[in-house]
Amino acid sequence: MKVDRPTIIFLGQPNSGKSTLFNAIAGHKALTSNFPGTSLKHTHSEVNIEGRIFNVVDLPGTYSLNPSEPAEKVVLSHLFQEKPDLIINVVDASILGRSLELTLELLEIGYPMIVALNMVDLAEKKGVQIDPGRLEEKLGVRVIPTVAAHGRGLKELLDAAFFCFDHPCPTQAPRWSGDVEEEVARLAEKLPAAVVIAGNPRFTAIKLLEANQTFCLEVLGESEPALKNELDQAKKRIEERRRAQVYEVVSAERHHLALKLGEDSSRVRRGKALGWEQRVDSIIMHPFFGYPILVLIFLAFFFLIFKIGGPLEGRLLAPLARLRVLLGGWLGTGLIFHLADGLLQGVGGGAAIVLPYFIPLLFLMAFLEDLGYLARAGFLLDTFMHRIGLHGKSVSPFILGFGCNVPAVLSTRILESPRDRMITSLLIPFIPCSARTTVILALVAFYLGPVYALGFYFFNILIIALVGKALSFFFKDPSPGLILEIPSLKAPSLAAMARKTYLELKSFVRFAWPLLVGGSVVLSLLQFLSLDRILNSALSPLVVRGLGLPQPLGITLVFGFLRKELSLIMMLQALGVEYKNLLTVISREQILVFTVFVSFFIPCLSTFGILWKEGGKRTAFLSVGLSVTVAVAASLLVRLIF
Amino acid sequence: MIQLSEAPRRHKLRILEIQGGEGVRRRLFALGFHRDDLVEVNSQGILRGPLLVKNLTADTSVALGCGVAQRILVEAAADES
Repeated sequence: MKVDRPTIIFLGQPNSGKSTLFNAIAGHKALTSNFPGTSLKHTHSEVNIEGRIFNVVDLPGTYSLNPSEPAEKVVLSHLFQEKPDLIINVVDASILGRSLELTLELLEIGYPMIVALNMVDLAEKKGVQIDPGRLEEKLGVRVIPTVAAHGRGLKELLDAAFFCFDHPCPTQAPRWSGDVEEEVARLAEKLPAAVVIAGNPRFTAIKLLEANQTFCLEVLGESEPALKNELDQAKKRIEERRRAQVYEVVSAERHHLALKLGEDSSRVRRGKALGWEQRVDSIIMHPFFGYPILVLIFLAFFFLIFKIGGPLEGRLLAPLARLRVLLGGWLGTGLIFHLADGLLQGVGGGAAIVLPYFIPLLFLMAFLEDLGYLARAGFLLDTFMHRIGLHGKSVSPFILGFGCNVPAVLSTRILESPRDRMITSLLIPFIPCSARTTVILALVAFYLGPVYALGFYFFNILIIALVGKALSFFFKDPSPGLILEIPSLKAPSLAAMARKTYLELKSFVRFAWPLLVGGSVVLSLLQFLSLDRILNSALSPLVVRGLGLPQPLGITLVFGFLRKELSLIMMLQALGVEYKNLLTVISREQILVFTVFVSFFIPCLSTFGILWKEGGKRTAFLSVGLSVTVAVAASLLVRLIF
Repeated sequence: MIQLSEAPRRHKLRILEIQGGEGVRRRLFALGFHRDDLVEVNSQGILRGPLLVKNLTADTSVALGCGVAQRILVEAAADES
């Protein structure tokens, strides 16, 4: 097979290290990329490897090709849309038996495939030694051992991929027990060409048998009544013989075959040696100690970011202030000074105020994610989530929200019930994302002390709980119970964390920073033309009378819709002071009220966009209404208290 | 035959039946929980929180809400060691 610009799809179960592998291959070499926060959960990259250009697609993790959550539906539709020239199936070697279930399902389709046997180091640590050659023989496709986090096996994987582009790489579908196989074959024979998926009648027959009552089956009933009848008969025969539903029978066939394959190709070297992972796990998942540890982790998270970011910010701001004075000396007070000043405020504000907090936060988020702590927090917090009508699976989107609300809203696709997705999506905009953390740390912690900032976070969580409680009154249907895989604890690799941080940072520099700079320049221009006063006086009833803030801050709140940090950077510009002299024009109480209002009022533009895209116009506007109400109420409350 | 939610901690158990709605059952199958698998309950969150269930056959761990765990029927595995 010789293809011009071949498409490779990365597919694997959740937590198989698929994205790490994808980043390791596409990360440095990507020519064009979609970053999280644009429109797609899956990532497309054009990659140039040894002079050849590939389309590389990273799809969200899925346990099987019978989707039960929207994230998994994306996988299925893209798998057939892209018509991949090669699938790289990433398999977690440390749970080989279970991971191979998806591999078997993929083999049924018949697309060319190679298996990346990932995390072989973890398997070895568990005392399991896998023989890739033997597995290769059994599966009939190439199996390449890799350790994506350390870049091991990448070269071999790419070589195997190249080979499959230039030579035929046929696959062989696994065979099941005689009785089931017989029914599948019989049905496959009778399928008219029009209904066959991916040119594979056997695969289509299997999917027809095990699919749940989908639209397709209804259509089939109308257009091909004879076939529908045949299908029902086959189902009935299997169910009578096995005394179980067809989907259970088919799934059990894969399950047992996969376990057997796993056993046949691996050797357990030693008994159950308790590794550090298990020991640590039994403490952090402890029904009692788990909770104080959870709180400690978040406190440490917060203090680390503050302790790194605070001093760094102070050091970076000094030269910026000097530069500004110099600029004033050179350019006078005309239009050119205003433009240059706006530019400086945007570029400098981003570098000196935002990045010192943003980078440590990204890095620590990557640490928690790679460690596997998010699922554990979900387990621990499930009980509390029930109080607000959700369950533990929503915890991971919430925690992701501390980084950025956009991927957090996208990640609600892992929730099975539309109701849970709706409530979680409406609550996510209340989570203080990195932008708001910057505002909170740079204003509240810096001027009022870290204890106030911590208090702010507790107040914030309280508000989320209250809003959640209120929302659950309106959306009453019961939530399906929690079923959440707890992946094994992994020591995060510094390289993988750095790579993730770098990619996120790159997307910040590309998409968010220009907004900060643009916003500052626009404000400068408005100030020069004295147009800001019109807007400020229009907003004055809310800003001055309602919130008790200085009038010039009105315009900064409006711009906060673009990016929350923009409010902070523009605040200094609007008040016409240096960062260190802020308290000469605004009181501590006003800083608090300003931060509360900026934090809660209206989701930022990107979050609004993603809410619209994922949940529809209604959800997006509901979220706006909700946040404006909460912001006004909370700011008034703070004003009353202080 | 007992419900998984009532099963003793850290004992080897065999799954006899997975009941419940199709959605929940499909989800459990996809995560590699099937009849005849050996499982063990390792921990539980506070205030009737979820169970931490280890599937010894597939070597995976899953957090199951109490409602889900009630629908999984198990028995003590004979070859307990």
